[in-house]
Amino acid sequence: MDKDLMLALARRAGLDRALADFPADVAAAAAQATGHRDIIQPPADPAAEPWPPMRAAALPGGGGL
Amino acid sequence: MIAPHWLGATAAVRAFAERRLSPVELMQALLDRIAALDPKLNAFIRLDAEAAMAAARAAEAELGAGRVRGPLHGVPVGVKDIIDVAGLPTTCHSHLLLDNIAAADAVCVARLRAAGAIVLGKLSTHEFALGGPSFDLPFPPARNPWNPDHHPGGSSSGSGAGLAAGLFPLALGTDTAGSVRHPASACGIVGLKPTYGLVSRRGVFPLAFTLDHVGPMTRDVADNALMLSVLAGHDPRDPASVAAPAGRYAADLERGVRDLRIGFVRHFHETDMPADPEVTAALEHVARVLAAEGAVLRDIALPSLAEFAAVNRVIMHSEAWAIHAPWLRTRPGEYGQLARRRLMTGAFLEAGDYVQAQRRRLQMIATVEDALRDVDVLLCASSMDPAARIDAPEAVARTYPRQARTPFNVTGHPALAMAAGLSGGRLPLSVQFVGRNFDEATLFRVARAWERAGGTANLHPPL
Repeated sequence: MDKDLMLALARRAGLDRALADFPADVAAAAAQATGHRDIIQPPADPAAEPWPPMRAAALPGGGGL
Repeated sequence: MIAPHWLGATAAVRAFAERRLSPVELMQALLDRIAALDPKLNAFIRLDAEAAMAAARAAEAELGAGRVRGPLHGVPVGVKDIIDVAGLPTTCHSHLLLDNIAAADAVCVARLRAAGAIVLGKLSTHEFALGGPSFDLPFPPARNPWNPDHHPGGSSSGSGAGLAAGLFPLALGTDTAGSVRHPASACGIVGLKPTYGLVSRRGVFPLAFTLDHVGPMTRDVADNALMLSVLAGHDPRDPASVAAPAGRYAADLERGVRDLRIGFVRHFHETDMPADPEVTAALEHVARVLAAEGAVLRDIALPSLAEFAAVNRVIMHSEAWAIHAPWLRTRPGEYGQLARRRLMTGAFLEAGDYVQAQRRRLQMIATVEDALRDVDVLLCASSMDPAARIDAPEAVARTYPRQARTPFNVTGHPALAMAAGLSGGRLPLSVQFVGRNFDEATLFRVARAWERAGGTANLHPPL
């Protein structure tokens, strides 16, 4: 993430105070976000759903949620 | 006779019933040990000694009158300091919440008290349950009883350190990316992340709603099963809580593993994140022992650890940002540096990133479900290394992410970490077992078979 984009996103998120007092921490946070995002391989199937956000798939005896 | 501080909950309750020990005697022994050892271990953020002793006296009087509240009557428990205990501060180990007095017990604490357990105090955690050991927070970080120069894992650091040191027989931890199982691994105790939704999270400060779990931490497998039997249960006011039938978690503990099918996820520690050779050898030893006990082992492949971790992190940081944004905007200087860096990450993720991570997560859940149709339990690494020195930030930063715990926060399956032996440097090595949803009983069965054969419950640090 280039610096201008990082600064713009930080300001949009309301992190002006953190940018002023802890600029290295804001930059580190932005770098972490990029690193995580780039590893995920999203499903190729357009119909793959994100919902429900979390579920325990099966209950004892075959029930589900 | 075993020293009172090494008694587990099961043994303590038996000793109370047989009048060989009283709740007051046990409490006094633990308070004496805490006074002697905690100044160098820092397991406690707040010890509530007076209230704990008063409760022990009440428990003793009730026993004398023939009244038993429940299966943990008179047993002391430590509580991670992101979990509410009525009348005590829930600080989350943060300057932001030093005066945050809890109005009521968290559901998990209330269930323990209803079963007769006695709250000893609040235990050390990483700030808001993420990051690592930090020296810029209100209290010093907990240290590893096996060697106080090393960290005890986290974020349920005080829970792991205090159990391993014999400061209490039971502790509550929470686990969003491995925070029950990491201290269990680093300290050589038993930590369970139950099935998502099995234990209520109400009254626990959230880190990430769809990844957070409350879990029992103990020194042996039987105590873990006992503690889960008290903690598990539907809470209609926790949106994740499941109306699952009560499990008989200890029913099969001594049944052994003959003919159980165990899938060994070797690629986690062999290729995804090559483990320390001592960890690899310990995992192979556990597999050989379980095979000798009659289990049928086969290799299983799952998605890569790197992708599991990325899905966990995108979801965790997005959800945590939603919680912390107001404070990060107005009071960033009141966070420690580690938490501030981690919690601001969510500001740089987009809605689409979160949705893609959730879509991939559902595929990952399906993949693990498929694997658990072919085998009964998975065996894999927990930590890839023994605990690093606590005063070596680069070593801590390098080894903290080297773990195989986040996959099962992503999928929600129950996962238990425990000792697999000791390193040449006399630090615990670890193994992880993963089960089908709501089938903690089989998980305990395998863990107990390893514990019995490996003798891991008898490992205590040289304090």
